[in-house]
Amino acid sequence: MNLEQLKQLKDKAQKQINLREGGKKYRIVVGMGTSGVAAGAREIMTTMLDQIDKSGIHDVEVCATGEIGMVDAEPSVRVEEASGEKTVYGNVTLDDARKIITEHIRKGHKVEGIAIGRRKDQE
Amino acid sequence: MFEELSLHILDIAMNSIAANARTVEISILESQRRDRLVLRVSDDGRGMDAVLLEKVLTKRITTKATRKKNIGLGLALLRQTAEMCDGYFHVRSAAGKGTRITASMRLGHVDRPPLGDINGTILSLCAASADADVRLRYRTDTDEFRFSSKELN
Repeated sequence: MNLEQLKQLKDKAQKQINLREGGKKYRIVVGMGTSGVAAGAREIMTTMLDQIDKSGIHDVEVCATGEIGMVDAEPSVRVEEASGEKTVYGNVTLDDARKIITEHIRKGHKVEGIAIGRRKDQE
Repeated sequence: MFEELSLHILDIAMNSIAANARTVEISILESQRRDRLVLRVSDDGRGMDAVLLEKVLTKRITTKATRKKNIGLGLALLRQTAEMCDGYFHVRSAAGKGTRITASMRLGHVDRPPLGDINGTILSLCAASADADVRLRYRTDTDEFRFSSKELN
């Protein structure tokens, strides 16, 4: 383990916490139950955080949740929009993770091919 | 099987967050001198009573309602890794009193997985709970590093 690497943690965590402050247009939720973690969900999350940082996007919050019952589609990523619309992406690769940020979050275009479900909340 | 110990830590600590912990403390001791690696995840979540604890450790149950097939693998996987690497695995928990999970292994054991991306693990835990204080204490024979997500806020 490298102490120098650990020192970057504070900086990275601070950036992530800064994204939290309310009223965001998008909320990204990564499934991190045992099956998600085993399938690489952590790398999906860190890749998205890096891409958000690189692209200078602020209108998004990134969260993790536990098992969501989609064991055969992990890693999974859910994108929730302020309008109530939700898109679930399954079997997400690192490349897909970057595309979710550069296409969906930045431009508002859903990433076709990996979307496994969509729903608009009726509240 | 997880390829990195930090993935085991993430998996176990996600349970702490699911158990409504306000504080999740991850402690890693890496001692070349004693040829030991000790991982500990402590939380102040809802804990487990003796009956549940016994079941979790022997029957692979899970408390998570979303899983119909009822398998609790996380603890069993960490136990297996620790025991494979000349170590031990211990859980202390009581209802309402939180849970402390300790896994030790021989640092130089040929089968010991690398620690891997601890930063990624901590960032993921911070993302999993905006309210909990996620703490890390990492020690070697000569150095120490501490992190607390609440101190950043």
